[in-house]
Amino acid sequence: MAKKKKKKQPSRYERVVQILDAAQGDNIPDYQGNRAFWKDYDLLMHVRLYGQRMIAPGPHDHDHGHDHGSGSCCSTTAPASEDDGGSCCSSSSTESSAAPGSSAGSAGALADQPGSATNRVDLNPHAAPVDPFCWPTGGPGKGDPGGNGSPSGGTKRSDRSGLIIGLRGQYPFDGSNFPPLLWNAAHKVSESDIAFIADWIDAGCPRAEDDAAAPEKVRAAVKVNDMLALARGDMLHKVSAQPVSQDTKKEKGLYQRREVSTYTRAELDRLREALECMYQFNKFWQDERSFDFWGRIHTNSCQHGWEQFLPWHRLYLYFFEQTLQDFDDDITLPYWSWSDYADANKGTYQTTILDIGIIPEAYRCWLTNDGVDRLAKTGLFSNKDISNLKKTVGNTYNSGLRFLKAAKIDYEVEQVSGGPYEWTPKVRAVYDELSLTNALWFPNRWPGSVGSATHYPNKTDIDVILAVNNWADFGGGPEDDHHFGALEEVHNGMHNFAGGKNAFFKGDDTQNEENPKYGWMTDNRVTAFDPIFWAHHSNVDRLWARWQELHPGVNPEDLDGALPPWSLTVKDTLSIKKLGYEYMRDSYHYPVETNNGILRFDAELAGVRSSVLDTHRKAEVRIHRVRRGNLTNASIRVFLNQPGATADTPVVDNEHYVGQVSTFHGTCYGGPGHCDLPLPRSRGFDKRRLHHHEPRNFRVDATEAVQRMLAKGEDDLCVQLVVVDIDGTPKDDAVYIDGVSLNFFD
Amino acid sequence: MAIFKIHPGIGIARLGNTDEFYLAPEQLGALPIECDDQGREKTAKGGEPVRVQNFKESGDLSKIKRQGARFRVFAYDDENDPDGREIKIGDTFTFELETTTTGRTLVEGRVKDVQWTVHLANKKSSWYDYQETDGMHGYSSSHPLRNPTVTQPDLRRQLITDPGPQTVSLASPNASFAKGENPGYPQTFPPETILPNPITTLGDLIVNEQNKNIRLIVLGGQGNSGSTNTPYISSYTNNDGWFDDISDGPVTAVIEYDYDFSYTTQDEDGNVVEVTECRTGTMEVNVPAWVVVGYPRYVPEIPDMITLDEVIYDLSVRNFAYEPRLFGVPPYDKAGNSPKTEEDFRLWRNEAQYNPDYYPKFYKEIWPILLRPDLYRNLFDFDFFAGGDPHNTGTGGNLDEEALSMPPMHGEDPNFQHRQFIYKILRQPGQENLYTAEVVSRAIPDYHPRLMPMLAGNNPISNTSPEKFLRLTDTQLFLLGQWARGKFVNECIEWGEDDPNCKTPWKRPAVTGSQIDRGVLGNMLGGAFCPGGELGWIVLNTAIYSGPYRFRHTTYTAGALSLPAVIADQDGSPAANLAAGLEPGDLTKYIGIPWQADFHECSYQTINITYEGWNKIYPDSTGDPVQQEIADNIPWWPAHRPTVVLASVQGPQVYWASGIPDNNAGDLEMVTAWKDLGFIKYVTKEVESSIVEKIDGKCKKKVLGTSTVSAYSQVERNDAALGPPVRPGSGILGEVTKSADRRQ
Repeated sequence: MAKKKKKKQPSRYERVVQILDAAQGDNIPDYQGNRAFWKDYDLLMHVRLYGQRMIAPGPHDHDHGHDHGSGSCCSTTAPASEDDGGSCCSSSSTESSAAPGSSAGSAGALADQPGSATNRVDLNPHAAPVDPFCWPTGGPGKGDPGGNGSPSGGTKRSDRSGLIIGLRGQYPFDGSNFPPLLWNAAHKVSESDIAFIADWIDAGCPRAEDDAAAPEKVRAAVKVNDMLALARGDMLHKVSAQPVSQDTKKEKGLYQRREVSTYTRAELDRLREALECMYQFNKFWQDERSFDFWGRIHTNSCQHGWEQFLPWHRLYLYFFEQTLQDFDDDITLPYWSWSDYADANKGTYQTTILDIGIIPEAYRCWLTNDGVDRLAKTGLFSNKDISNLKKTVGNTYNSGLRFLKAAKIDYEVEQVSGGPYEWTPKVRAVYDELSLTNALWFPNRWPGSVGSATHYPNKTDIDVILAVNNWADFGGGPEDDHHFGALEEVHNGMHNFAGGKNAFFKGDDTQNEENPKYGWMTDNRVTAFDPIFWAHHSNVDRLWARWQELHPGVNPEDLDGALPPWSLTVKDTLSIKKLGYEYMRDSYHYPVETNNGILRFDAELAGVRSSVLDTHRKAEVRIHRVRRGNLTNASIRVFLNQPGATADTPVVDNEHYVGQVSTFHGTCYGGPGHCDLPLPRSRGFDKRRLHHHEPRNFRVDATEAVQRMLAKGEDDLCVQLVVVDIDGTPKDDAVYIDGVSLNFFD
Repeated sequence: MAIFKIHPGIGIARLGNTDEFYLAPEQLGALPIECDDQGREKTAKGGEPVRVQNFKESGDLSKIKRQGARFRVFAYDDENDPDGREIKIGDTFTFELETTTTGRTLVEGRVKDVQWTVHLANKKSSWYDYQETDGMHGYSSSHPLRNPTVTQPDLRRQLITDPGPQTVSLASPNASFAKGENPGYPQTFPPETILPNPITTLGDLIVNEQNKNIRLIVLGGQGNSGSTNTPYISSYTNNDGWFDDISDGPVTAVIEYDYDFSYTTQDEDGNVVEVTECRTGTMEVNVPAWVVVGYPRYVPEIPDMITLDEVIYDLSVRNFAYEPRLFGVPPYDKAGNSPKTEEDFRLWRNEAQYNPDYYPKFYKEIWPILLRPDLYRNLFDFDFFAGGDPHNTGTGGNLDEEALSMPPMHGEDPNFQHRQFIYKILRQPGQENLYTAEVVSRAIPDYHPRLMPMLAGNNPISNTSPEKFLRLTDTQLFLLGQWARGKFVNECIEWGEDDPNCKTPWKRPAVTGSQIDRGVLGNMLGGAFCPGGELGWIVLNTAIYSGPYRFRHTTYTAGALSLPAVIADQDGSPAANLAAGLEPGDLTKYIGIPWQADFHECSYQTINITYEGWNKIYPDSTGDPVQQEIADNIPWWPAHRPTVVLASVQGPQVYWASGIPDNNAGDLEMVTAWKDLGFIKYVTKEVESSIVEKIDGKCKKKVLGTSTVSAYSQVERNDAALGPPVRPGSGILGEVTKSADRRQ
């Protein structure tokens, strides 16, 4: 009997490929070396065709770790994007390779380096010309939807995607610069097929129909049966794979600044992209999108050695983070919890060996295989060099110098025709490549001892500081009696540790751009040009915030003191919650994908990092956005690692039991719709307080329960909820929630 | 209503000393087009024009054929119609009609004929002295005049050669700008006694019908130049007493059409009846044109480093919103870049800029510029000592086509440095007096390659307003800059695979009006202007344009063409006024007189490069104690005036102007010898390859086979008149020696 195989319905992406394949026919042009780029999903998501991004970045585009060129110039993992070609990534780097066949035989090749030479802080990684597309804008403000192809705010993603613009034959694919897409095609893509592809893009480019990239669709797609199963605890809730900021945003929660080691690769890459983009604006010194603009604020305005140290830097980070969130509002500033690295650093300070300090991996340097290939092509390196460079792949290094040592390449600076010392072409090529690989790395950074003993703070040291019970000792004296506070003193030492000393300093110009005597982190005036500055200060700010929790109401003397260049005062800095963020070691979210009332909530293991389990101070289960309108009261029991928990699961002498919260609702006394969810706050001038029907949040301290689980030998956690009536029986249709999260604090 | 325009906007006829002629090429670097004696284009199978193979009259190497400038009328549906189409007899359009009874009205009409009117004149002898760039920004009242002793206005007007306008149509297809051919017009011609060659005509007009198209052919003069004195040449541009038969002037057209005119009347019986008559109306073409007569194009297939098209393209792009996608106000669309009034244009010019996201097409916009220097090795010896080729386009060459055509791919850009190097040695705005590049590589600080193009500039001669060297136009530099950055497309690997002309887009015959405008000018010289080839630096002045590729016409009175203001002001007769527009002869008057003198001297130049800032020092210092630095052998425009050429496909290199010495006497000889010079043509030849073997004790040639060899080589040189060509380094008859300051 012939088996009748039911043909699987193609996914929308598969259909997109079919449409484009059919239109293109057999004759596939080069498409800048990418050929049939739509066939490779990852490539399609990132590819640029002569500068035109085929699929515009989505609002939360986190796929930047791919090797296909992530669109923005000099991106983390990709070499120069096609758009700017070598001009951005090889800038000022390979000056010595001779132009092919030049008549003189000694023709030096010249790199394009607009404005880089004069910009003191423009160390070569940042000498790229501006890619005007890298920073999102609100669009040109008039006319021409194609515009500059700039990812403008107001239009649909498909309207900004080169593929759709090209298929529609809009500028620049209107023949004025490029012919309409597809090129050399067998057929034109029909209007309805273009509309299909556009809809697919606007739906978030789902790769398969159950693609997590389209959460809205997924929610709608969850089957009724599944919704019931989820609400009844017969099906596990999944831990979110999205960036934490997206989960907290959906839960209308605060932004979370987390310890840098708990950021995902995608989260870090997004931060790197933002910085890369900011570096590109460095030649526009007044442009607040330029990284140097922010670096210079510290140079000119920073407050140290008195009570404004903490408030001023809190605002500094706040405004910098706001700028980063213009680029992508999922970005938050990670913090570098120094004491977590104290053990690792035991042998790296109070020693005469320089720059052997250990810093968080995200800020280190390393080389990829692609990077080695590119270095090989410069012609600067011998085969042996290349083979040594290859051996470094897979490792990370705490400083550029350590990298060079590992690769057996001499760190050398040289004077060219009596000018200042600068890196030799070899060093420059390597440093360019390291910068390209990691925008958080910085060449003038030699973490470790500064000759004499630097005190590296361990957990006890931090606890001592947190135990200080008055502001002046903790945060510094007022203007008329100024002195350093305890936290700032530790902070000073960590600046010196992070910057370190240049073992190979030459000449007498201690401020030499490529050959300074000390790392820039040690220098008050240029410190903020090192990206690690921001993680360092995020930690300072976190410790203040933690101290505020421990010592509520203890504040600097002059709350009205202004904090230029901003128009805010010390008082405005006292609550980080008002500034919209909180500190968290790590956070795991379970979006609740059911519209039914929760009877039981069961979830898969959260995949909590072991380092988080080992070092956190406090754990907390949060239940997000519990509906309030017209619901009967109930209690929610919280368990850890108790799969299948029911109303009958014991709460006494049960080590899995975390605690219980009770709702306090009421019946509806208004007219129809009165108890519905309130309208979303969309008016900028709506100054009214929290709506009384706004869903509310519960928090349950789980610190001890987590410790019990760890003591039991559990190495991961999951959360269960059981909803019961006030009489302890199962209770349906009483608890409607948006999400549950498991949170860890330092 | 349709808009009618004449194309090309600027046509080029060329002198010749026979009645035979061919048609001007309408593509960059294309050979001229063969035609019949009515100027009807000969077409080969497949529709391509038949190309001219012989530039001289059959059997007489001293007779150069003339080149006719062909004009056609195109109709455009409206302002947004990019291409338009040529009108044909019988085509119906809505025409304007103005009659005494109806007033101005619109009628449906059928094209019947075109009345073409052209007015050629030569004003060179009546104009100011040419003094390099002095005058480029206006003449001072003390600027010397040519023939300065002639100051009485009426007498000075006699220095203008003005045969008056001529009108032709299918009904009356021939006319001549000859003496006596314009009854009722106060013609002025040079005295009949001028020597060596009197001037009796500036050319002819022909109208022909081809495939129902009604076309005009303008033919120029005979190449006659003469002096009222005993002929001698003392200057490369200003020689009092001399006249030549170069000319230029406006081309206008009136379309004649038939239309049905209906009216009601009463018949004999008193009934009201409607009568329809066929009547003829006329309408003036909305956008007229200009014709310029130049000297022969001896190297028709090799473009100049900057063509006149590239000059006017650059000027139109930057001043007239000609290509908003390339240069305009963001977002560079048509709607936002359509200034209408003068004020609009001023605002637009303030705001417009090059589009940083314009991706030039390699073979359309980049390669034509880079390819030319390599072609000049056929016309000039760049390396007198080693004979090297600094512009090699082959693998590994400085201009390696394969390497330079590859855009970045997958973020890899192995040719980035190579492109940057080429871009960095291009002379930039402000570097017109700089011979060599500053540091192009920090790694090799002492390396100062010569800036490109290494060609003489608008004024390498005097130190007043010097522009010692040529630089590319702003637009060329922008396009090359984009390319150097990696922002370009190799169209042939993307969408041109099936197109045999993909790598040579200029080889496609021009079809649209703008293609014809550009193609025609592609064969004219766009710099340096000292004073220039067909036209001088006046073309850089935006005031003379009414729009892209169009000169502004002005009105004038018969027999009263304008004079320099210093003369005209004496009796209030019309003075030249650029702001009002141009009249016949107003473009070529800036060129040297007679043209042969400057033409002969424009081979190569010795340029004093002691100071970059020439204007800032005392320019007339004598006995300057400083050792002067000299750049030797800087060519002018190898494709317009070749120097060293191949005598035949496999032949030796010879001086092109062999037999005409490099001195004032040679300039005078050129007045008649121009017709004997050879043309440079791409010649393909079958050759035998053989070896000599000793067979039976005797030397015998053994043929191994045949192969084809091709080269740009000299054809149709009249050795009988000029003597055999001289090879470099042998003999004094050629251009072995060249005095340093011949052009001063």
